[in-house]
Amino acid sequence: MIDRLDIVAELGSRFGHETFQVQPTRDEIPTLWVSRDKLREVVGYLKTDAPGPYKMLYDLTAIDERTRTHRPDQPASDFTVVHHLLSFDRNQDLRLKVALSETDLRLPSITDIWESASWCEREVYDMFGIKFEGHPHLYRLLMPRTWKGHPLRKEHPARATEMGPFQLPDEKQDAEQEALHFRPEEWGMKRESETSEFMFLNLGPQHPGTHGVLRIILQLDGEEIVDCVPEIGFHHRGAEKMGERQSWHGFIPYTDRIDYLGGVMNNLPYCLAVEKLAGIQVPERVETIRVMMCELFRIASHLVWYGTFAQDVGIMSPVFFMFNDRERIFDIVRAVCGGRMHPSWFRIGGVAQDLPNGWDKLILDFVNYLPARLVEWEKMVMQNRLFKARTQGIGAYTLEQAIDWGVTGPGLRACGCDWDFRKKRPYSGYQRFEFDIPTATRGDCYDRGLVRAAEMEQSLRIVRQCVENMPTGSYKADHPLTTPPLKEKTMRDIETLITHFLGVSWGPVIPPGEAFVGIEATKGNNGYYLVSDGSTMSYRTRIRTPSFRHMQMLPMMSRGATVADMLAIIGSIDFVLADIDR
Amino acid sequence: MTIAFYVASAVALFATLMVVTRRNPVHAVLYLMVSLLAVAVVFFTLGAHFAAALEVIIYAGAIIVLFVFMIMLLNIGPPPSTRQESLLLTPGIWVGPSALSVLLAGLFLYVILAGGRSVQAGSYVDAKTVGISMFEIYFLGVELASMILLAGLVGAYHLGKRDLPDEAEGGNG
Amino acid sequence: MNETLGTLLIIAFVILGVLHVAPGLIWLERRLLALWQDRYGPNRVGPFGLFQVLADAIKMFFKEDWIPPFADKATFILAPCIINVTALTAFAVIPFAPGWSVVDMSVGLLFFLAMSSLGVYSVTLAGWASNNKYSLLGGLRASAQMLGYEVFMGLSLMGVVLMSGTFNLAKIVEAQQNTIWYCVPQFLGMMLFLIAGIAETHRLPFDLPEAEAELIAGFHSEYSSMKFGMFFIGEYIGITLISCLMTVLYFGGWDGPTFGISEGLALKLVQFGWFAAKTFVFLCLFILLRASFCRPRYDQLIAFGWKIMLPLSLANLLITGAALLALE
Repeated sequence: MIDRLDIVAELGSRFGHETFQVQPTRDEIPTLWVSRDKLREVVGYLKTDAPGPYKMLYDLTAIDERTRTHRPDQPASDFTVVHHLLSFDRNQDLRLKVALSETDLRLPSITDIWESASWCEREVYDMFGIKFEGHPHLYRLLMPRTWKGHPLRKEHPARATEMGPFQLPDEKQDAEQEALHFRPEEWGMKRESETSEFMFLNLGPQHPGTHGVLRIILQLDGEEIVDCVPEIGFHHRGAEKMGERQSWHGFIPYTDRIDYLGGVMNNLPYCLAVEKLAGIQVPERVETIRVMMCELFRIASHLVWYGTFAQDVGIMSPVFFMFNDRERIFDIVRAVCGGRMHPSWFRIGGVAQDLPNGWDKLILDFVNYLPARLVEWEKMVMQNRLFKARTQGIGAYTLEQAIDWGVTGPGLRACGCDWDFRKKRPYSGYQRFEFDIPTATRGDCYDRGLVRAAEMEQSLRIVRQCVENMPTGSYKADHPLTTPPLKEKTMRDIETLITHFLGVSWGPVIPPGEAFVGIEATKGNNGYYLVSDGSTMSYRTRIRTPSFRHMQMLPMMSRGATVADMLAIIGSIDFVLADIDR
Repeated sequence: MTIAFYVASAVALFATLMVVTRRNPVHAVLYLMVSLLAVAVVFFTLGAHFAAALEVIIYAGAIIVLFVFMIMLLNIGPPPSTRQESLLLTPGIWVGPSALSVLLAGLFLYVILAGGRSVQAGSYVDAKTVGISMFEIYFLGVELASMILLAGLVGAYHLGKRDLPDEAEGGNG
Repeated sequence: MNETLGTLLIIAFVILGVLHVAPGLIWLERRLLALWQDRYGPNRVGPFGLFQVLADAIKMFFKEDWIPPFADKATFILAPCIINVTALTAFAVIPFAPGWSVVDMSVGLLFFLAMSSLGVYSVTLAGWASNNKYSLLGGLRASAQMLGYEVFMGLSLMGVVLMSGTFNLAKIVEAQQNTIWYCVPQFLGMMLFLIAGIAETHRLPFDLPEAEAELIAGFHSEYSSMKFGMFFIGEYIGITLISCLMTVLYFGGWDGPTFGISEGLALKLVQFGWFAAKTFVFLCLFILLRASFCRPRYDQLIAFGWKIMLPLSLANLLITGAALLALE
């Protein structure tokens, strides 16, 4: 076991201690400030040469620091680019920050070290206007190419009402239309090879096979895919920007809509991150309730994936069966939370209500009902020979590729790596449950399916344990920042009444600091990196979503496949457009 | 039946004429199909039902589909200009072939008229008769034809095959 | 004169009958699929949702009949007509009961093959004329698929021809009445023909030309209103045709117990009833296939046709021929 903190000492001894400045954070992830000249060297060392290398570029984002007031122990910076690395050997994260001044917004690109940095860097360029030197294709990623301004800068308006009325004069419309014109060269594609002329096929944004507004430009030779470019951003709603103008409590419903199939699973990393900033310790009952609801939503999400994946490769019926059973989960969710797909039910320091009477019977009925159905579907889908012919050996990647591209969740476990946050870094009390981590070996579409199918059984196991061992106690933490606060005490002492009043009217004031919490969500690792400036609103909300990273791999996975394979690959990734675009 | 014969013949002639004058390749191929269907009707009126059916199945239903398939695969539209074709229509080029064709047509008319065999619904030829004549009387001819077709097949395969390594090289380079 | 009138009656009967079977089938398909997929299907308009088809037809009539400006207009209009014309024409040779067919053609089976081979044009031309890449891919897939599957469709039928010694469909039925339904001795041939028939009508495992997950709607992506309706109806006419042929070629056509009725119109009606009942079973089979199958990939499908089905149908032909010679 390599000591958790020795990476700082080690980097210091290798590159000189003056190279780095250490910043303490609430989440205790080692955070180092490094100059942009040294960045590539340090990152390259960390990826390959360091003992227990940091093989995965977990996240790459930026912070507009210009209006931030609480910055103790941090060097002067207008814009900070944050590289978040993950080491599997150490089971440890590392954050590298680069300070940039407003007048000189550029730093070297690391796309040649991690190809997967490409989209992240483009996103940072798009949102902050920071230029990455050496990036081969530095265009906007989420916003339209004709967009003026960089949305996540503090001076960019957050709402349409701050922007003046929208007008579309003819010349602007012509310019916009012209910008939509497809020129293969702009996307790094050739029109023809020596032997044949390529056909460019627009898969989407309106296409029944893409599960949402996603455009994939296919470069075809016959029906064989020579190359493809996913174009994203159609579903971009600026969730990160919204985080900066909603109260800490008021942002919870927005999280539901990130991975809109994951329901309360989205609330969890956000609430955990806020609780980490606020220093709230939730009761065991809260943890168990949260785990139970999350696992139910994991099953619901996997059911949607199961059915639509089957439909993508042409089996018509399973999707109806699976949606019917998903409806049973929603019946439970409705009874417990009052909502269905987006219950927004978790709260800072607890959940919205206690469990209703008779909840255990409802859930036990379901837990007893589903296993037989899972066996039936196993026969109907996974053991179907035509289905196997369509998915085995299609869209495969190796474990190295998966790690390099930042794959997490079932996609990573399908390559044989049993990395699961619930086991490796138990959060919300997962250490109290018995469950296995299903893995597969080949990393193709079929194996990704196998892993998810097996995960549903494990989720059922967890849910059953939750029902059988539900702790007694409060459904909310006894802490001043719990939102909404416990009502009972407010009528007894004035302090609590004032806190309650402030917490409800303005929202809680979360102490300044930075915290990241990642969880094993339905589609991979979903994480919230929150920066608080000691106010009622978040200073910066960064949402690390799994689908974003997985979609970026699509060209790598689909080269040489056919159009039909493409649909199998898309189906096997299990992405949600809102999870990609946020 | 005689009327049907003449109508079908006229359709066949007209369609064939359209084949060579269309600029859009798919339209030309469609007229070719109509022409073949008309010929099938001609066969039918002459009592050769079996031949008529085969004409439709093999020529109209399979070979012309291949034509359309290839046109679609190569995505051939109407040619941007017809200059090349206009050149072909200068008198020097078409006078010779036309004279020969007129001669042939005259010969054909003479044979029909002098032979004294007027066009009528011929005797009915069923599948069995066709089979017997193909595999007994004309057995050698059928076998020879099939050998030539096989040679053509092998040749086409060879021509098609040679492209593949080129393509691979192109892909690598 | 009387004979002409009878023929005209049968023609009217066939066209009207088939054109009414198709909408009925649409309703049946929706209800059956719903039954097998744990849902309701249309059940609001009229008794058992029967008028849903009518409502859909009205909707279809009143939709804008849109021809895209980039389409090849003449061919675009021609394409949906072809499938209906060829499929309906092929019904001319189907014997519904003794003497009940439009023409009693000596090469009836070949005539069916000829018509079904012409049906390819509909899909191919629709794909080409739409001037849309998805349609084009659909059209290309359709022509490659139909070419491959037509070859062994013809070959698989030759077993029946060898056994009965005729291409005449009515005589094939009579031959079965005298010996045995050909589904027994020609079981392999029947399976091959059924598979080829599904491929011909491009229904679910073989619906690659219109694979909705990949090609949106394939060759008919650009079609709307009545032209789309013609493709829609054409598909169901095709299914009906293949089901009729299954009945005629392998399940003894109108053959069945006559309940003591031995002559007159009553006998014919009973025989027709048998024919219709058998056909109905195959129609349901088609729908069940759609509910239960997975769509293979294009190259897998073509390879299946040429590498498995074609050798099998040749083997079937050889074995049938050898067996017949040996028995002679």
